[in-house]
Amino acid sequence: MIRRLATALAVTLAMLAAAPPLAAHDDIRVIGTVVRFDGTKLVIKAANGKQTAVKVDKQTQITRDGKKVTRTEVRSGRDVVVDAYGDTAEDALAIEIRLVPPVQNRK
Amino acid sequence: MSVEATTATAAPSRRAILVAAALAFAAATVLLVAIVLPAEYGIDPVGTGRALGLTALGQGAADAPVPPPSGERLAPTMKGPVALYPAGFKVDAREFTLGPYEYVEYKYRMERGATLLFSWQADGGVVQDLHSVPEGGASKNEQSFDNQPRRQADGSFAAPFSGIHGWFWENPGGASVRVRVTTAGFYSSVQEFHFDGRRETREVRGLDAIPVSRP
Repeated sequence: MIRRLATALAVTLAMLAAAPPLAAHDDIRVIGTVVRFDGTKLVIKAANGKQTAVKVDKQTQITRDGKKVTRTEVRSGRDVVVDAYGDTAEDALAIEIRLVPPVQNRK
Repeated sequence: MSVEATTATAAPSRRAILVAAALAFAAATVLLVAIVLPAEYGIDPVGTGRALGLTALGQGAADAPVPPPSGERLAPTMKGPVALYPAGFKVDAREFTLGPYEYVEYKYRMERGATLLFSWQADGGVVQDLHSVPEGGASKNEQSFDNQPRRQADGSFAAPFSGIHGWFWENPGGASVRVRVTTAGFYSSVQEFHFDGRRETREVRGLDAIPVSRP
């Protein structure tokens, strides 16, 4: 009995030691113009020309003026504000995609 | 037959009492002027204090400095309405230009009870939130204290717990907005959290950053 418990404890400790460290996820906002959107990946071009792709899933909310809209509203050429969650913008999952009026004045 | 021995003691004369009292008064006056005043109060009218090294004793007793509270953290030690700290306060000024829909969080590391004076202004509409995150806590543990719509605020803040304390400013519109904040307080550093995931910790300036006016 004691041998079994010791074995189970050793296996548990080995699994914990081998587990990857928890990554620190952060809120990230991506602002720009939609380049393309295939339903699961949204590519956005920022004001500085940099393109960023964020993941989109079924939980991602899409809104305009605070109201939900359908995914078909996310079309290339539209300006969006994407609040996402992840380590970096490249591997982030979109929590909300806001359709916003065309940005007039960028710094 | 018994013999009774008697001893007769003559009372001092009135003159003798006056002379003794005058001598005692004179001696006390000499001691007061030559010893007590220099040693206790630093007053040395006849120079005996300096000659005997008593003046230094008197000055030491009057001006002995009380050491400031010890400790590496800028935590207050309360004495009634007075808060004393182990070191001087810091000053900071920062200006941000927030592009359309951008935000920034600007937070100071402060100990529980430490205070901060602030003024900030924005040249356009912003969403603002003065809030705190406890030390070692996640953003879900944050507490919000003021998120009224404002374009400026001037005030003071006392940290309710040790952690990071400061503002979230968001530009909700399509034109750039400039936000300027100026503070003085007992904080050790300041952290910036930008909308695109950038994190920066900046050192803050001490009192030597303030120009001193001299006549």
